[in-house]
Amino acid sequence: MSNENILSIKNLNASFFTSAGEVQAVRDVSFEVKRGEILGIVGESGSGKSATMLSVMGLLGNSGKIKSGEIFFKGQDLSQNIKDLRGKNISMIFQDPMTSLNPVLTIGYQLKESLKHYKWQGDINARAIKMLERVGIVPAEKRIKQYPHEFSGGQRQRIMIAMSMMSEPELLIADEPTTALDVTVQAQILKLIKNLQTETGTSVILITHDLGVIAGYADRVLVMYGGKIMEEGTRREIFYNPAHPYTKGLLRSVPDPDKPRKRLIPIEGQPPNLLTPPKGCPYAERCPQALKECFEKIPVEKIFPDSETHKYFCWRECESC
Amino acid sequence: MLDVINLKKFFDTPAGKIHSVDGVSFHINRGETLGLVGESGCGKTTTGRTIIKLYEPDEGKIIFNGQDITRLPPDKMLGLRKKIQMIFQDPYASLNPRMTAGDIVREPLIIHGFPKKEQADRVDYLLNLVGLNSEQAGRYPHEFSGGQRQRIGIARALAVEPELIICDEPISALDVSIQAQIVNMLEDLQKNLGLTYLFIAHDLSMVKHISSRVAVMYLGKIVELAESEELYSRPLHPYTVSLLSSIPVPDPDKSDKLKNIPLAGEIPSALNPPSGCNFHTRCPKARQECKTLEAVLKDTGAGHLCSCPFI
Repeated sequence: MSNENILSIKNLNASFFTSAGEVQAVRDVSFEVKRGEILGIVGESGSGKSATMLSVMGLLGNSGKIKSGEIFFKGQDLSQNIKDLRGKNISMIFQDPMTSLNPVLTIGYQLKESLKHYKWQGDINARAIKMLERVGIVPAEKRIKQYPHEFSGGQRQRIMIAMSMMSEPELLIADEPTTALDVTVQAQILKLIKNLQTETGTSVILITHDLGVIAGYADRVLVMYGGKIMEEGTRREIFYNPAHPYTKGLLRSVPDPDKPRKRLIPIEGQPPNLLTPPKGCPYAERCPQALKECFEKIPVEKIFPDSETHKYFCWRECESC
Repeated sequence: MLDVINLKKFFDTPAGKIHSVDGVSFHINRGETLGLVGESGCGKTTTGRTIIKLYEPDEGKIIFNGQDITRLPPDKMLGLRKKIQMIFQDPYASLNPRMTAGDIVREPLIIHGFPKKEQADRVDYLLNLVGLNSEQAGRYPHEFSGGQRQRIGIARALAVEPELIICDEPISALDVSIQAQIVNMLEDLQKNLGLTYLFIAHDLSMVKHISSRVAVMYLGKIVELAESEELYSRPLHPYTVSLLSSIPVPDPDKSDKLKNIPLAGEIPSALNPPSGCNFHTRCPKARQECKTLEAVLKDTGAGHLCSCPFI
């Protein structure tokens, strides 16, 4: 991991405009991705983790819109350049390998399609076969002519990974890449992503709701809730020294299979409705330690003592500091 | 309370016969929770649905409270369903979007002939029991969050005072912070109402937390069954060992030390299950004999059952 920022997002605000009104999915989000790191983004549904990534990729669709903020990829403003970079320098894999592939085209066609657009210098067919072999789809020469339905779920996700790595991207965004897969297959796929990342030096943004996946594979972690970042730090900082009450609550609510069973400690209440986001901290409603100002003002960034990497957004002084 | 003996359920498809449940035997004691885990397609959901007779079993026996219910005639089914209820995985699909929460919970009361005068009170009581309030009875499913919908589904299951509840992945579709709420509630209800659960899930850490005993299924068969602590601390079957080693642990140091025992490939098709021990195609310890040896669940001591012939 180097200190060079490959992606830098500043004060991003993005909304979806629905029949019910404006859903403020991403609210004032800022962070960086460093070259060669795996940045994990953990959050529950509606936390804004996927919407942030769709903003980066320019894939918010007709109902979504970036309202303000900056997204820079290696110093270039992405709002101008995303169409030239998407699929080449930045690629993405999605949660559902069943619907991400076109069922009426061979996987070979789909693998090669991504490069045609960018006038790849070299033998596209050889590259496709090499990538298929790399992700463990063998014999690649034969399987490249097959259609998506001839592969299992895990194999399809491998094909998606091969496709995303065809152009040797510098940033790979993996949005819940293993959520639809079984646990033994999940382990295979995560290892594959990790190995490819080590071999090629690609930066990876790994989005998941599974704290175990984050603990095992991320270098740094962003914790998101209600469209905002709650806490940011290295994997060890987040798991061993969480500062934000939401991070603490999340870590407490999952059972530890290595410890004798005791009653779980849930986070009471429900996540906020982003049609009418709360005025203050989005977690204040559910936070057992909320102060009066938590309901009124959005918390400012605090730096954890003696750390350059650990930040959190909370009005309270954290007890573990 | 429940005895399942050599249960089999096949599905006929144009491609052939799918061996969904292929000789499953277990029992559940009154007041306990039996966890049933396995990956998709292993037959855990079909097992649950066959027990409640949503599917007709092809072979084997289901004995509930001493009564053989395997071939129960349709007119006796209503009485049985009062005793066995089910909670479903998807709180979005398992509630009728055109019915209010109150009507959804009331429906089983109507079906089972609960006195009309008492129905409204009972609906209020049930909604309160699952942490909702009476004012919410007039709302429709879309006005509730996922966790609240699952609460409605639980209230519906409890309406007719069942003894056994088949919980089919009741928390899989919920967010992490909400899962713990529902699991705690299920535990409280079990204690207060004396319920028995068959808890079907693929989240192994949650299953360990909630179950007294756990059965592990692979390709239509139970490969291992033991007390929950025992199974997790001393797994015997190579499949269980591998499955447990694949659970991502929310702890960086433990996670780094974790020795994941990878399984090659994916679950074979239940259309044409492998011969002998059906796990031999992926088993890291497979020997030549495994292709022919019948794998039968047997006691290795102290009620720890395992089907691997070499354990």
